[in-house]
Formats: sequence, structure tokens, C-alpha cells
Amino acid sequence: MTLDEYVHEVLAGIPRGARRTQIEMDLRAHIGERVEQGQSIDEAIRQFGDPERLAESYLAAVPLVSASFTRRAVAKLIDFLVLAAAGCTLVISVWQLTGPSGKALFPELADVVSPALIAVCVFLFVLMIPGYFVLAEYLTDQTLGKRALGIHVVRESGARISLGQSFVRQLPLVAEIFILDVLFALFTEKNQRAFELITKTRVVRVDLA
Amino acid sequence: MGVDQDQGGEGKRSIERELRRGSLELAVLHVLSWGEAYGYEIVTKLVGKTNGALEITDGTLYPILYRLEAAGLVNVRWETLKRGVPRKYYQLTKAGRSELARLTDEWSTFAEAMTRLLHQQAEDR
Repeated sequence: MTLDEYVHEVLAGIPRGARRTQIEMDLRAHIGERVEQGQSIDEAIRQFGDPERLAESYLAAVPLVSASFTRRAVAKLIDFLVLAAAGCTLVISVWQLTGPSGKALFPELADVVSPALIAVCVFLFVLMIPGYFVLAEYLTDQTLGKRALGIHVVRESGARISLGQSFVRQLPLVAEIFILDVLFALFTEKNQRAFELITKTRVVRVDLA
Repeated sequence: MGVDQDQGGEGKRSIERELRRGSLELAVLHVLSWGEAYGYEIVTKLVGKTNGALEITDGTLYPILYRLEAAGLVNVRWETLKRGVPRKYYQLTKAGRSELARLTDEWSTFAEAMTRLLHQQAEDR
């Protein structure tokens, strides 16, 4: 295993952010110290052990700090404002391109396509909302709103979440039980929603970790 | 905006693991009280002074140093060498020194009590 492969494997489970950058720098420096003593990369890496366990030890070293309910609510509000703006832009653009107005770019499409197209757009957009949360949280640990508020989604161990966890987290939105789901966050110890308890995930502060 | 600290962690850690972690933390703080050191130095000192009894590896040491750094108990200094990767030096902060004193006290009391207990014979009770 090369140094880069090892470091990559350790970092795979660690959320992006200052912690991850620091762990990477530390690892490279400390493995470098052993190599300087005349050890081979392989020997040096063996001293650090299984990459997954090392990542767990690093994550367990610093306690997580739950994001407050207010902080999470503001983040969610920003997300919905951004999504609403994106949705309006989409529908208006389609309307302007194909709509019945004299200024439409493709007026010949107006009668046939436009109303249906708008309906399709709206439908797609409604699907896109949970889709956005699932993908953003899986790929970058946070949505735009969460980024703005300095919070992100992690497993209870502090590790990055899987695609499955990210998907199940958003089921209340699709099933329209999100009000009940969110109420849990007001009363649970770590401000977890019901579906966060199920998926063993939490929303925590990035900076305080 | 309020935050709530999560003190406990998972709660399923074994006593042995906690004891080990606690004692290693004390050991690392103690080694650093001799003066600034970089990671590899700390490992060799810990292994050397205890004849390897502490069984410390890089994989256990570095997460501890990482925690001490996050808790403000150690300061770090990067030194760029002429060749190779920069080296990271650790030194105790003021908070680190008082934590070391506190842990040393706690450890001595605990160890003395345990030794006394374990040497007690049945008839002495």
C-alpha cells in the first residue's frame, strides 16, 4: 500500500472540514518521521494499523457538539428559499421559452407543449427537493443552508453517512410526516429527528468538532 | 444559539479501553513535561522508559495527541526541515501542566488504594 492510498483510506470515513485537513497533515508528518528513521513506507504504515480503526479512534477522540434546533431551522429555511428560487426560475424560463406570450422564443410550441411542460417541471421539481437533500448530504455532508450555518450531517460515531442513511433521512419529507418527525428534535437529547434516530445519524457543529 | 455538549459518547466502551486511554493520556502528558517532542520521539520514549509494557503504537498515540491538541492541553509547532515532510512538535500548555498534575494525583491515589487492597490477605479483613 502506498502512503497516498493509506491516507486516502483513513480519510474516507472522515467528514470534510478542518479536522480532516489536520488529520491528513498529521498522518503524513508522522509517517514521514518513521521513514526518516530509515523505515520503509510499509513498515511505517503497519505501525498505524488498520485505516478504518485509526479513523474511528480519531473520530472518537473529540466529542461531537449537536447543532441547536434554531440553527438547524435557519439552515432548513435557507435551503427552502434557495430551492424555491431555483424552482421559480425553472418554471419561468420554461414559460418564457415556450409560453403563449408574444415574446416566447418558440411560440409554435405554446399550444401543445407549454402547460404539460410546466406540469412536468413542477412535478420534477417536487421530486428534486428530497433528491437535493439526499445527494448533497451524502456527497458533501451538508446542504447550502447547513454550510451557511456551519453544521453537517454525520453518523453517531462522527463518520460520514452512507447513501442509504442519507436516503432514509429524507423519507419523512416524501411521506409527509415531517412535522411529527421534526418534533422529535425538540425533545431528544442530541436534537435528533425520529428518522435520525432510526438511521443513527446526527447534525453537529463543524467548527466545534 | 445554544449548543449542548455530548459528554458520554457511545457508552459501550469497555472499562479496559477507557482505563488504557486514560492512562496513555497521562503517560503522554508526562513525557511532554520533560520538554517539547515530536511524535516519533514520544513513541520511543514511552516504549523505552516502560520497557515496552505500555504497548503503545502510532495508531493509539496520534488520536490521543489529536485530542490533547483539540482540548488545548498541548501547543504545536511545525518545523520545516530541509528535505522531506515538515515535522510537528508538541509542547505542554499551562492548562496541560495543571491537567497533568491533577491526573497524576488521581492516578497515585487510585494505584495506592488498589495495591493496598490487592495485598490484603483474607485473615486481615
